Amino acid sequence: MKRTLAIIAIAFSSGIYSQQSEMLVPKDAVSVFSINNINLLQKISLDELVKYEFMEELQQELFDGSTNGRTLKDSGVDFDQRMNVFQGKSDDFTVSGVTFGVENRELLFDVFDDYQPSESSYTDVDFYSSYFNRIAIQGTSAILFRVTPNMRLVDEMTDSIWYARGNSYPWYYEDHYYDEMEEATEEVYEEEEEPLEYFEELETEENTSNPVEETEEYPVAEADPTVKTYYELRDSVEAELQAKYIKMVSDELFIDHESLVTEDTYFKNQLTHISEGIFYLDNSRNFEKTSAFWTMTSMYSGLLRDMEALYEGNVIVGDLYLEDDQVDMKLTMNYGSKLGSIYQELTDTKFDKDVLKYIHKDNSGFFTYNVNMRKAYEQAYDVVVPMLTDAGKPLAGNLLMIELMDELLNKDAIFGVYQGSMFGTFNGIQKVKTKKIVFDYNEETFDYIEREEEAEEDMPIFTLGFTTERSDIPEKILKRSSVLIDELHNEGTYWKIDNAVLNSAPMYLILQNGLFIITNDEDLAMNHTEGYGSEAISRKEGKKAKKSGVMYAYSDMSKAIEQLPRGMFNDQENEIIDVIRGKSGSVQVTSSTTTSAKTDVQITYTFDGKAENSGKYILDLINSLYVISK
Amino acid sequence: MKLRIIFVIATLLVSLTSCIEIIDDLSLRSDGSGTFKYTVNLSSSKVKINSYLALDSLDGKRVPSIEEISSRISAVIESLEKREGISNLSFDANYDDFILKLSFDFKSVKQLQQAIKDVVLEESREKAIKELDETWITADDAAFERSIPKINLDRVNQLKADEIAELKEGKYTSITRFESEIEKCANESSAISKSKKAVMLRTDVYSLSQNTTLLDNTIYLQSNEAEK
Repeated sequence: MKRTLAIIAIAFSSGIYSQQSEMLVPKDAVSVFSINNINLLQKISLDELVKYEFMEELQQELFDGSTNGRTLKDSGVDFDQRMNVFQGKSDDFTVSGVTFGVENRELLFDVFDDYQPSESSYTDVDFYSSYFNRIAIQGTSAILFRVTPNMRLVDEMTDSIWYARGNSYPWYYEDHYYDEMEEATEEVYEEEEEPLEYFEELETEENTSNPVEETEEYPVAEADPTVKTYYELRDSVEAELQAKYIKMVSDELFIDHESLVTEDTYFKNQLTHISEGIFYLDNSRNFEKTSAFWTMTSMYSGLLRDMEALYEGNVIVGDLYLEDDQVDMKLTMNYGSKLGSIYQELTDTKFDKDVLKYIHKDNSGFFTYNVNMRKAYEQAYDVVVPMLTDAGKPLAGNLLMIELMDELLNKDAIFGVYQGSMFGTFNGIQKVKTKKIVFDYNEETFDYIEREEEAEEDMPIFTLGFTTERSDIPEKILKRSSVLIDELHNEGTYWKIDNAVLNSAPMYLILQNGLFIITNDEDLAMNHTEGYGSEAISRKEGKKAKKSGVMYAYSDMSKAIEQLPRGMFNDQENEIIDVIRGKSGSVQVTSSTTTSAKTDVQITYTFDGKAENSGKYILDLINSLYVISK
Repeated sequence: MKLRIIFVIATLLVSLTSCIEIIDDLSLRSDGSGTFKYTVNLSSSKVKINSYLALDSLDGKRVPSIEEISSRISAVIESLEKREGISNLSFDANYDDFILKLSFDFKSVKQLQQAIKDVVLEESREKAIKELDETWITADDAAFERSIPKINLDRVNQLKADEIAELKEGKYTSITRFESEIEKCANESSAISKSKKAVMLRTDVYSLSQNTTLLDNTIYLQSNEAEK
């Protein structure tokens, strides 16, 4: 508590608003990860940070090798300001980059030595450029960014100019090129089959008696060098558009003073949080700007508009907190009223306490998921049908199908069988009974015959269960199927499917207490079809799951990772798992009750090691993984 | 492509040698012809093999499907069947229990060795493989000598202690049968059947990987000794 108060005090004494680099995050940013350097460096000193092996590499990479020996400390970056990594898109371009504070401009450009000063149209703003990248510095804050025009737009404009100039179809050479590529691919394939023969055919300096015919792979250059080829024209269009959009982004930041902070209250509010890092992801704009839906723009523009409206306000924000012995990630999923109404109905259900009976106290991890599919369906129907109605003729057939299914299908039976709530557990690795073949030798002749023998092999034990009100329906399916499938047997209180798991071990199906349980845990099927009783998880643990909203998950990482069989992974994966084995704790995921406006999710990683603090712990882990993966 | 599949199959086998059982069974008639049977039993690793087969890739290499493995093995078998002096070839693959059985007749041990060398060379696409220069079987009137190819299993030397412990459970059994009775064997680990017409040598896969001469043997037949 003292520590938290101290951090708050330091943050305020430094002045949250002294961190101005966030004011340069463009309003088109769709996702931002903002590091609060003041808070972070309370927990991980810069001296410590630059000593890590992964940082050395990162620094060399960042400073492109021409500034060997330098570290972030000598980079001229002001660590009293936030560092904001962003990525964004508009209809016409994408923009990505980072904003940060500048303490010493001379040092900064010793590091970013590829950047040259360029003309600035803005008062008190200096521009520097390197190929497609720009750095703009206003006061003590900088933005390093790259703007890339939408290629569909570039192509459209290029085609338009190309045809207007009286040119013909520009892709002749392209098709020709692809034909060549296909042939080349076949040759490569053949090369693998007959490598020696292929190489023998190649013309070499010593072997000019076997000339190889030259193939035409590139478009022929224009006879008149002042006339651009299609590709040159496209490059010009792209460069022009890029300049236009760089100006647009710069105008917004430096003339209109518009940034994500001024335009988005979610992001602005998030910046007031005293955490080591914040996340921001605007799903609604992601949906709106994604090119994946471009066909819908022309064909079902009305529906697309409705879907955009459905996703309106769907913004995920989060905080990263590094505490003494734990790392917390707090996420809030915000959504608009329509989507919110569906989620609210989806989660409007009582927790099924019976699932707790089937979670063993010694489990390595489990989750519970608590939803009401029936209510969510009804609400989604009410939201989607008007949208499809508005879409008119193109989607009338789909609408009719949905309405007919709604009328004719027995929803009571469907949602009675599958209500939506479920749970799962991982009970570690257990020996399961399998069969193996052994050979018996006749001592007289050493002739041998095969004999089947019981064997045991290690297998991960999983259980998955669904809440059901109509267990009579799956029971009916199993009963009839057992007549058709030899491997399916009724064993009284449970059903057994032989060799269902990896063609070696049985799977068990249990229909008890309003649950349909699928497991490969023989002990659960044979001895605990009514639940584990006193061997089930404690009331305290159960209460946490019950209190959590839509979902709850817990994993004892040390147990779960320790039990992973080495044989299932390759050498490198095992080395990485070994690192995690030495640094494991527990992970808990909890969620709030879902309202029509938002759901909160908290992920807490608590560790048991002897690290000085969670920041150092995470960095140690990253460094170990980096060293191994080198 | 062929090479890649063979590489992955080999990797799978090395990874699974902990539970592998191999029986090589050579029957020799007095005219020099005979029958060779080779059995690979992976039934005690069913779960592990099925786990691997369920993966997309292993050690960065694509894991072939059962159909691809089967088709590759069929091609090798077909190639073997065409070799001079090889006949009555039969191959039985049980992919439920992962037991593979190969059996064929040969006219002479020389043709048997040549057929194996040719098939290995064809599949490997290398011009020469040092290990194939050796002669594994020699027979004269006095004695019969046999060994197994000295395959270099470098990967075994990189295994960890627990993996080595598992590897020691894998078995290699070599049986040699004759029409006449056996007098004695040079390898002290040999077991002679009660009928005195078969000799068996067994070792674990790890020991064999460390010392590939463990199964080398010279077998003296009674009739030959008598003639001497």
